[in-house]
Amino acid sequence: MSFDTIIQIEKIAREYEMGGSKIYALDGVNLEIGRGEYVSLVGPSGSGKTTLFNLIGGLDRPTQGVVYIDGVDISKLDAYELAWLRCRKIGYIFQTFNLIPVLTATENVALPTVFAGVPRDEGLKKAEKILASVGLKERLHHKPGELSAGQQQRVAIARAMANDPAIILADEPTGNLDLNTGMEIIDLLHGLNKSRGMTLIAATHDLKMIKASDRIVWMRDGKIEKIERG
Amino acid sequence: MLYPIWLDISDIVTNVEQDSRVQFGMGDAARLGYEYIVRRFNRAVINIASIALGIAFLSTLLMSDSLYRAYALAGGERLGVETYQYWLMFVALIVSVVGITNAMLITVFERYREIGTMKCLGAMDRHILLLFLVESIIQGFAGGVAGYLLGLIGAILSTGFTIGFTAILMVPIAESITLLLGSVALSMVLCGVATLYPAYRAAKLNPVEALNYEL
Ligand SMILES: Nc1ncnc2c1ncn2[C@@H]1O[C@H](COP(=O)(O)OP(=O)(O)OP(=O)(O)O)[C@@H](O)[C@H]1O
Ligand SMILES: [Mg+2]
Repeated sequence: MSFDTIIQIEKIAREYEMGGSKIYALDGVNLEIGRGEYVSLVGPSGSGKTTLFNLIGGLDRPTQGVVYIDGVDISKLDAYELAWLRCRKIGYIFQTFNLIPVLTATENVALPTVFAGVPRDEGLKKAEKILASVGLKERLHHKPGELSAGQQQRVAIARAMANDPAIILADEPTGNLDLNTGMEIIDLLHGLNKSRGMTLIAATHDLKMIKASDRIVWMRDGKIEKIERG
Repeated sequence: MLYPIWLDISDIVTNVEQDSRVQFGMGDAARLGYEYIVRRFNRAVINIASIALGIAFLSTLLMSDSLYRAYALAGGERLGVETYQYWLMFVALIVSVVGITNAMLITVFERYREIGTMKCLGAMDRHILLLFLVESIIQGFAGGVAGYLLGLIGAILSTGFTIGFTAILMVPIAESITLLLGSVALSMVLCGVATLYPAYRAAKLNPVEALNYEL
């Protein structure tokens, strides 16, 4: 399969100053990701997966190099455009779900639509629809504390899709789940990737979670060790 | 790159204008703030009580003065509120403000992750700022009303024993309504001012650090 490029990462480095010495969380990473592609990012703890996600998502800036999304150098975006990018173009999924505890499942999913300026009723209706599509029709008005870990991650996935982003960044989405639930979550993400054509980048250190991906990027010590076709 | 970068950026900018007709505004902040207050009521109660006590002090003094004046007009002895009592009130209000600032700082601290998450979902700094300010101002409203009612009771009790409880019937209605509105307005303003710094801290949080934060 071939994809046109949606994310292009050119020679990026991210260094941290630690007590006078420099740590390279990322060190000269080049990567091109195609629209609609499913890429797994694999590497041991500390290899730089989260750092890379933060740079792609415009949450952090590289110390060297450039990240292009749809051809745009995101370091050139102002605060408003960055918020727009995070809101509309990218959906985040975290290992720890990071749902807003005081809001119900529906309200959590509708939250990104609030920031996108979608009218409230429309946002809530859409949220219910997405929740139903991830199998949570019966849990619309539950708060995160009243849901199992797997259900919470489904809510988080629904939330990530709320504004129909082109890219989903999932940082160890199965890290806090048992094997079966984790597999279900990966299947769900994979299904969304295929049915909606959303580019999916998922970090993991569990090799059971990578089999469905189009490509597997192996990272070590802030560098890409190798790239395999899935 | 296939095209010059500026072209793509201008493309994004026009998209922004088309796509976000509406923004995260007062109404959204109020709704979200309200949810936080209702569903974490214990924390809100501390803030509301803090400002309510200060406002109660204020409205006790002003209402007492009002009652004394009405009593004097009706031919009674002219009693008054002592200046030092106003100073005490002033100090009490400052203590309330400092207490609220402190409580809101703790609230911000507790919500680091949530703030980081909201920034990931597209919240801008000013949305976060607005969220905390509005939440606090709603608490200020509740505290203002509660404080006024407490103050009313305080004033009736403290004046009743000196000039008799029948004097209560002489309270000018217009004055007590002005006092209610003034108390509530002051309470909201003080809560807003008290939350400026905590809300600013929250708004300026770096999302990566906020997300990494383990409580
Ligand atoms: N704020 C920071 N200050 C200093 N060093 C940091 C900071 N954030 C990350 N690092 C370092 O950067 C490196 C990469 O971290 P990163 O979180 O990207 O790894 P990871 O692959 O996501 O690991 P994990 O699988 O444990 O999540 C690590 O060595 C880490 O210590
Ligand atoms: Mg990580």
